[in-house]
Amino acid sequence: MNTVDNAILKVSNLKTYFFTRRGIVKAVDGVDFELRRGECLCLVGESGCGKTVTALSILRLFDSPPGKIVDGQISYNSLDLAECSSKQLRQIRGKDIAIVFQEAQSALNPVLTIGDQIIEQIKLHLPLDHGKARDRTMTLLNEMGIPSAEGVMSYYPHQLSGGMKQRVLIAMSLSCNPQILIADEPTTAVDVTIKAQILDIFRELKAKRQMSTIFITHDLAVVAEIGDRAVVMYGGKDVETAPVSEIISNPKHPYTSGLIECLPDVSKTADRLASIPGTTPNPLEMPQGCAFHPRCPKAMKICKQQEPPEIIISKEHKVSCHLYT
Amino acid sequence: MGKSWLRDYLLKRIFYSIIIAWGILTITFVLVRVGPGSPADKYLANIAARGQDVSQVIAAIEARYGVDKPIFQQYADYMGNLFQGNWGWSFSTSMPVIELIKTHWIYSFQLILLSSLFAAFLGVLIGIYSAVKQYTKVDYAFTFFSFIGISIPNFWLGIMLILVFSVKLGLFKTYYDTTLPLFSLDNLKALVLPVITLGTGMLAGYVRYTRSAMLDNLRKAFVTTARAKGLPERTVIGKHVFRNALLPLVTIIMFDLGSIVFGGAYLTEIIFGIPGLGQISFNAIFANDYPVVVAVTIIGTFIVLLVNLVTDVTYTYLDPRIRYD
Amino acid sequence: MTERLRDIVRRISRPLYSNARLINYYWQRTQRNKLAVFGLAFIIFLVLLAVIGPFFTLDPTAVNFEEKNMPPVGFTIEQSVYNIETDEFTTKEIPGTWRHPLGTDSKGRDMLAMIVSGARVSLLVGLIATGIAIILGTIIGVLSAYLGGWADNALMRFTDVMMTFPFFLLLVLIVFIFGPSLVFIVLAIGLTGWTGTARLIRSEALSLRTREFVMAAKALGASDNRVIFRHLIPNVISLIIIIATLSIPGVILAEAALSFIGLGDPTVSSWGIILEAGQTSLNTAWWVAVEPGIMLFLTVLAFNFLGDGLRDAFDPKSNV
Repeated sequence: MNTVDNAILKVSNLKTYFFTRRGIVKAVDGVDFELRRGECLCLVGESGCGKTVTALSILRLFDSPPGKIVDGQISYNSLDLAECSSKQLRQIRGKDIAIVFQEAQSALNPVLTIGDQIIEQIKLHLPLDHGKARDRTMTLLNEMGIPSAEGVMSYYPHQLSGGMKQRVLIAMSLSCNPQILIADEPTTAVDVTIKAQILDIFRELKAKRQMSTIFITHDLAVVAEIGDRAVVMYGGKDVETAPVSEIISNPKHPYTSGLIECLPDVSKTADRLASIPGTTPNPLEMPQGCAFHPRCPKAMKICKQQEPPEIIISKEHKVSCHLYT
Repeated sequence: MGKSWLRDYLLKRIFYSIIIAWGILTITFVLVRVGPGSPADKYLANIAARGQDVSQVIAAIEARYGVDKPIFQQYADYMGNLFQGNWGWSFSTSMPVIELIKTHWIYSFQLILLSSLFAAFLGVLIGIYSAVKQYTKVDYAFTFFSFIGISIPNFWLGIMLILVFSVKLGLFKTYYDTTLPLFSLDNLKALVLPVITLGTGMLAGYVRYTRSAMLDNLRKAFVTTARAKGLPERTVIGKHVFRNALLPLVTIIMFDLGSIVFGGAYLTEIIFGIPGLGQISFNAIFANDYPVVVAVTIIGTFIVLLVNLVTDVTYTYLDPRIRYD
Repeated sequence: MTERLRDIVRRISRPLYSNARLINYYWQRTQRNKLAVFGLAFIIFLVLLAVIGPFFTLDPTAVNFEEKNMPPVGFTIEQSVYNIETDEFTTKEIPGTWRHPLGTDSKGRDMLAMIVSGARVSLLVGLIATGIAIILGTIIGVLSAYLGGWADNALMRFTDVMMTFPFFLLLVLIVFIFGPSLVFIVLAIGLTGWTGTARLIRSEALSLRTREFVMAAKALGASDNRVIFRHLIPNVISLIIIIATLSIPGVILAEAALSFIGLGDPTVSSWGIILEAGQTSLNTAWWVAVEPGIMLFLTVLAFNFLGDGLRDAFDPKSNV
């Protein structure tokens, strides 16, 4: 695929390995994608496929004694985030690229007030004094639909409801007007009503601020709702990349088709929910060849032996599968 | 946010402490009265050994201590006396017990204070460092040394220090010089070995507790959030992680202070000849001067009670998660 | 009565020993910790020393002024000897001999014999006093958790009071009042050291009552008795073992400290008493102070290593 001009972040052949006592975990093993200005790119896959580690790798937030980026580049603004210095990285974190984690309760520091935590970030990156930082925080909280922002600022995380906490997290990540927002499964740990609210927030972000977002999720339904393009991941690799409409209507990779089939269809009657047979592979013992072959309904002999190459189906659609060679 | 609940809690806690104080005094009373022989016996043995006439002394003592009175009367007298500051008469030193305490408490106080400060500062710093550098050689070394620190019998450590530094190397005097003014450098120098003796055990304990408290928090999600905001690592550790570790740590440190320190101080004073409360209790034991021993025990216990109260209320005030409305 | 008791003991221990796989599993995990293994090895060595040592050593009470203040093997010390006839002090070099491999004290008693006999005292006191403290603490803890209500309240207030007393000060007071015989010392330590155990056992018992696996067992139809014996007690036992292992060093040190300040049983040669004697002869016979101290230190260290390893094996998530 050609590199399009308005790519704001480009990940090439990223490999992040964890060197543990029990062996090497290849959490991310050769991932390529790019994020374009103003789009919402979804990283999709089951738990353990490496999507969270990919997101963490962009800002090098994984635990560094076991984890290490062993190969690849992450190009942002003519910097390679995989190689740049800690100082440069820190200037980007929270300011140019921000990340929102999934469980808001544990993602917020329990012994500091909401106001403290947000103001801290603002004052770190922007040349504002305390008063202006405070005002800015209040505006943000209001924008996020948090009532009585002034009171909330002196609250501690445990005093807020789940939905509010998630909004606070998102507000905090937006506090310095980042160019890129990475959201790691923000709708996973919440109930359905809050999920809808959060998705609304992300839609608004795209509409009003033209925010470039990387949205990580395992839920294809969410992808269908707010994604522009999707990267399907399995076993630490990207197996299919395409615009969302394409992925849903014309999935090429058997895993993608499997995921789509798993979505319960209210219009049909069925005895059982469909699922993909088998379980995600043990990261310490990846299958030979294509990582998906043990669970693939269309597995061929070559799938057990060789890793599939990347095939370009069309200008915007690529897939890694032996079916299309 | 109104802090009236804190005042209520404080009052409740003080009331509770008074009950405990009553319990302490009662138990002490019971112990003394239940002991074999009357309180006069020990002193009598002393007098008899010195060849003096016993009978008159018996009469005087019994009149004074009311041994012939019914037990409840004795109890009431005991409580009454304590509150009025009449803590008995020290036979061996021929002065009221309270006078004895007034002249000697300062030595215990300076020893315990210096040792605690030494142990707390150093212990917390090493603990933090050890936690941050977990699994490195430095961490293993510190952990190993803290094991040694808590296992070394502190009275033996004192003797060994004297052996090496005073006897063999002649750097310090073997015995504490009471003529030195308290706020002099010489006094400080004389306290070096005692402080190391008393402080080492405490230090090792604090290193372990701090390390453990820090480790409990280092892997939590809010730490990654803090890093993702772009904060420098030392702020992440020093402000975010440490504040969370501090709360349970303070409790443990205070509790330790109560239970372990007094025993250690007692022994340290004896070894180095520091004329604190432990020393006078020790002397009183061999002169069979029981009021002094009882008084020192009660004082020590009341200090622990006070420290517990202060710690409890402070902790409740500091931890934002505890609210009693 | 004894029938019932035997039955109860058998039922309590059945989950443990009949589940040899479980014991093996915990043992495997403990083994991983080399320090814990060293601790256990040292303790076994100490027990052997205490039990059969005295048969092989000289009499620890044999006084022999001719051989006083001899250094351990490999060391030589200068002693000044006063010669009555010439009214002079002459310095003689006295080397250590294998007859007294650890030297002798100021009265000529063999250090090795005294240390070995001291091991006996320390271990006995350690085990018995800890046993008393743990049994008392467990009874109070379980009772408190089980009875609840005002009984729980009263027991816990009492525990609070006892806990407020600084351990050593209370010990000193009790031994001072009742007299420094070994029996009283053991009793005193046992009767003052149960508070921590009571607290821990009570909180564990309380939390166990509402834990999921208990509710699951009940949901599956288990009777109260069965729940208590097959589920609650085995979980508490591991806690008790850890508490015991980590309490013994404190007890041993307490006894040694008491002996050291002169409140020990004078008829017994505990390490603390030897240490006390050593303090006054630092100049002339430093080994008298060093040797018992090293033994105390190693013993405490061994128990701490073992206890820590056990705690790690039973609950690796705890970070201490």
